Amino acid sequence: MRRQAVDRYVDRLLGRRRPKSFAATEDELAMVRTAIDLAAAGPDAHGPSPAFVDRLRDQLREHEQTQEATPEPRPAWRTPPRRRFLAAGALTATGALVGAAADQLLQSRDQSPQAQPPDAPGELVPVTGTWQPVAQTSEVPEGAVVAFDLGAVTGFVRRTGGRLRAVSGNCTHQGCRLNLDTTRDKLACPCHGATFSLAGVNLTRPHQSGTPLPALPRVPVREQGGTVQIYAPAGDHSPPAA
Amino acid sequence: MIWRADTAAPSPRPSVLPWAVYPDWDAIYADNVGRIYRLMFSKVGNRPDAEDLTSQVFTAALGPLRPGAEIGQVRSYLTTTARTVLAEHWRRTLGHQVTEIDPDILDLAELPPGAGDDGDAGAQAQRILDALPERYRQILTLRFLRGYTVRQAATELGVSVANAKVLQLRALRAAARAETAQGVRDVEANIVGEGEAS
Repeated sequence: MRRQAVDRYVDRLLGRRRPKSFAATEDELAMVRTAIDLAAAGPDAHGPSPAFVDRLRDQLREHEQTQEATPEPRPAWRTPPRRRFLAAGALTATGALVGAAADQLLQSRDQSPQAQPPDAPGELVPVTGTWQPVAQTSEVPEGAVVAFDLGAVTGFVRRTGGRLRAVSGNCTHQGCRLNLDTTRDKLACPCHGATFSLAGVNLTRPHQSGTPLPALPRVPVREQGGTVQIYAPAGDHSPPAA
Repeated sequence: MIWRADTAAPSPRPSVLPWAVYPDWDAIYADNVGRIYRLMFSKVGNRPDAEDLTSQVFTAALGPLRPGAEIGQVRSYLTTTARTVLAEHWRRTLGHQVTEIDPDILDLAELPPGAGDDGDAGAQAQRILDALPERYRQILTLRFLRGYTVRQAATELGVSVANAKVLQLRALRAAARAETAQGVRDVEANIVGEGEAS
């Protein structure tokens, strides 16, 4: 019985245990999301336990010492893409790329054979994801909109004013997958009818009530080697088994 | 006023000055572990997952982040790392981005520790509860906000444990639907920017 799966998920969440995966329907995902929103105001949300903080600090120190004992090859550096460096306060939803002072903290794990000398200006790139191609450059001419699905990250990329821009493809109402409208000038939610501009701004709300929905999160996008690339978690892109 | 943490500091709270620097890794960790944990908890709703994801963020950041890094840059880096760690978590578990971290949320970069986080979560929970009938609001308040067991909640409400379970499930379903009508999921509704590429 389907309701039991989401019920068990919530019970484990409330029982301070790790919830177990299940093949959730859209309605069940909405219930999980609501449960998380409520739990976020609960007693466990106020901060980590001192024991966890101490344990993780010890683990990180140990990890750091291990790294120092066995130095890795000098990390590769690469020329940063032609982009303006942004002040930290303006940093942005492109997310993966953090503009930063050239000689501070910036270290890339990019092992590209095109790596630049270590004195080249760097940029800080989270190491938990990779740039993944979603289209050929020729497939995204000026004004075009292309949907992509990398498993963990789905969305739409378009070119406007000569620049690529990408937004998440999940409705900020209840997370349903958005569709490109037949007129190809907006994104429509099949679940409750919300619509968004291609820039991600909420145009219409479910039932035309309440305050506007949050804008669609932006997704890091770049163009390299004739391909349009999205920054997303690395690894298997297929959805997990139910 | 701009200052560096390795010189005489005019303020004991460097976190309000994102352009100051962290003197060492311990300072990076001490100033951010609570923020990342609270961020992750608000996105997964349970302690074991929040701790795991927090650990993943700091482990991933351990190599790239160096002492001397500016505070704002470090926090932004941790936020963007958290974003991909969370996305991978949902891909592995429910196969759907149940919750997301929008890098435009600049709390981590700009606010002192503890500011904003609980208040935002509390306001969102209150909006959800306010849309519900009294009975539903009671069971969800007891279970989620006050940490009652289902048995304690049943006693408080004067119903059987089985009835309390049913009430909780119906209340949660109603809350999810009420959010549909309310059209509100979180508080950063004023973002009008777009993704970029050079």
